[in-house]
Amino acid sequence: MRKIIVFITALLFLTSCNNDESEQFSYENPEIGLDIPQDFPELNSFVSTNKPTKYGVELGKKLFSDKRFSADNTISCSSCHIQENAFADQNVQAIGIEGRIGLRNTPSIQNLAFLKFYNLDGSKLQLENQPLVPIITHEEMDSSIMEVIEKIKDDATYKDLFWKAFGDENITPERIYKSIAQFEYTLISSNSKYDKVKRNEGETFTEYEAKGYQTFQQKCASCHSTELFTDQSFRNIGFPVNNDSNEAGRARVTGKMEDYVKFRVPSLRNIDLTAPYGSFGQFETLRSVLDYFDNGVLGADNLDPIFKENGKRIPLSEEEKNNLIAFMKTLTDTNFTKQ
Amino acid sequence: MKNLKKYLLSAAAVLALVSCSNDDDTPVANNVTLEFNNTFKNQTIVLGDAASTSATTNTSASSQVHHFSELKYVISNIRLVKDNGDEIPYNINNLDNGATVIDQSKAATLNYVLSNIPSATYKQIKFGLGVKTELNTLDQAKFPKFYAAAGANDTEMHWEWGTGYRFTKIEGFYDTDNKQLSIHTGSTIEGTAPNYTQGVDAYRDITLNLTTNAIVGSAAPKIKIKADFDKLLSGKTNTITLSSTGMGANATSSIHTAANMVLFVDNLGGNGTSDITGMFSVTAVEN
Repeated sequence: MRKIIVFITALLFLTSCNNDESEQFSYENPEIGLDIPQDFPELNSFVSTNKPTKYGVELGKKLFSDKRFSADNTISCSSCHIQENAFADQNVQAIGIEGRIGLRNTPSIQNLAFLKFYNLDGSKLQLENQPLVPIITHEEMDSSIMEVIEKIKDDATYKDLFWKAFGDENITPERIYKSIAQFEYTLISSNSKYDKVKRNEGETFTEYEAKGYQTFQQKCASCHSTELFTDQSFRNIGFPVNNDSNEAGRARVTGKMEDYVKFRVPSLRNIDLTAPYGSFGQFETLRSVLDYFDNGVLGADNLDPIFKENGKRIPLSEEEKNNLIAFMKTLTDTNFTKQ
Repeated sequence: MKNLKKYLLSAAAVLALVSCSNDDDTPVANNVTLEFNNTFKNQTIVLGDAASTSATTNTSASSQVHHFSELKYVISNIRLVKDNGDEIPYNINNLDNGATVIDQSKAATLNYVLSNIPSATYKQIKFGLGVKTELNTLDQAKFPKFYAAAGANDTEMHWEWGTGYRFTKIEGFYDTDNKQLSIHTGSTIEGTAPNYTQGVDAYRDITLNLTTNAIVGSAAPKIKIKADFDKLLSGKTNTITLSSTGMGANATSSIHTAANMVLFVDNLGGNGTSDITGMFSVTAVEN
């Protein structure tokens, strides 16, 4: 009798062990380790609270291109954030549903896992808090998160993906934000010609590219620094000002007038693919930006000290401009835009 | 069995008596109505467009005449303070049941009824102008009612880019040539208290002493609150002069970002230290 009881107990023990395991690992959803390129800065600390997983990223990618995120089902995230353009577009200012014009030029989406601030004014510090903005903004998708969920909740593919990514079929706002952020964290651009030259992978700069790189280091790299090609500071560099009352640059967030129309230094990676340039697309070409720097920028009390101390300009010869543009084109990463 | 029947009968009788005696006593709780009167000084505001002849006009300390076409603000985090100092919070963590948009164009919104307030004598009211940071996230799943009410097309109290609520929205006209005035306030603050990392907190906590104690019990008192929008430009903290460019003045007439916003926030809701009433005062309590 005693033997039997011991046996049954042992059996129960084993069974319960098995149960635990099968529940915990009901579906294999491995983390996707982010390949951190050489010399890149540290990850944004929020990445560790929402580590990309295989199905989280797959789900985020699908959500990113779902037009049901907009009120009239015409616009998805990827309508403006186009992969061939480094997830930016070629419009002067972003265009939402019914042709509504947004406040700013669409920013590229690349290397976000390494940024400390999101948006040109740095209004968001955590990527998971960003997707709601375009969903509800009148000039963008003009919808609401519950309206989106209502539209996609009976979609069998989504049910399956939410289950695989999060363990059950529940579609919640938080899971949507997290999976989109996970997808965006994986968008890392670090395989341009510049990178291959730097890593000695057999590519070399042409004479013009090499000269351009020299000029870049002398005249541009104090702001477009680090391997992200931005020091992530906010500066007023005297660009033509957007007079829309909703625009104040960094001051929009901080409320400080010394931050008025300061914007985060943009990355130069894939810059050749993201024309036009400037917070509201003031410049059609890279050439016109360089001409503007050479001719002189607008004065302001809070004009960046580097410009103040140098007669409000970055003097550039025509040859230097040509070479700089040649160099900037080496920052184009076709692996990234065509993967 | 017979005994059991007896017990049941006597129990029923006791219950009946108890409920009778309850009827005689004051109820354990009752409603309190907050009645908002939006004014320029002592005159209730009448809204009107640029050419309106019926709109209430006001003149600021720096001699700028102005009137409003739209006037809205959010009240939340309401607490009533008993005469012994105890605070009774009213759904302070539930925007659906504890927050409201006061809209001068909709008479029904000017009365906000607090239900089920414990019977007691109250000496003070506290509330927030705006939404406290912890709840200011445009969380439609959690608070669908308030989200919908604030976001309605004729209300527009979502501050989309800040993923929070607009706390006040004032549209109107200033100077004799009726230039446009548009003042929106809301928070841009990031992080969690007390370690905020960036941004402006536009929420203001208001404390008002009642003119006479409100006695909640068999009566459902009404607390009359005046919001004097004369303070917008001529506040206890700031005297504001408007101009469309900000030149020759200390504020632009379009406040749609955090820039320059705090001048107005402090005037309307107080600066949180030396001024905890802002534009608000209690004018009467009807018991």
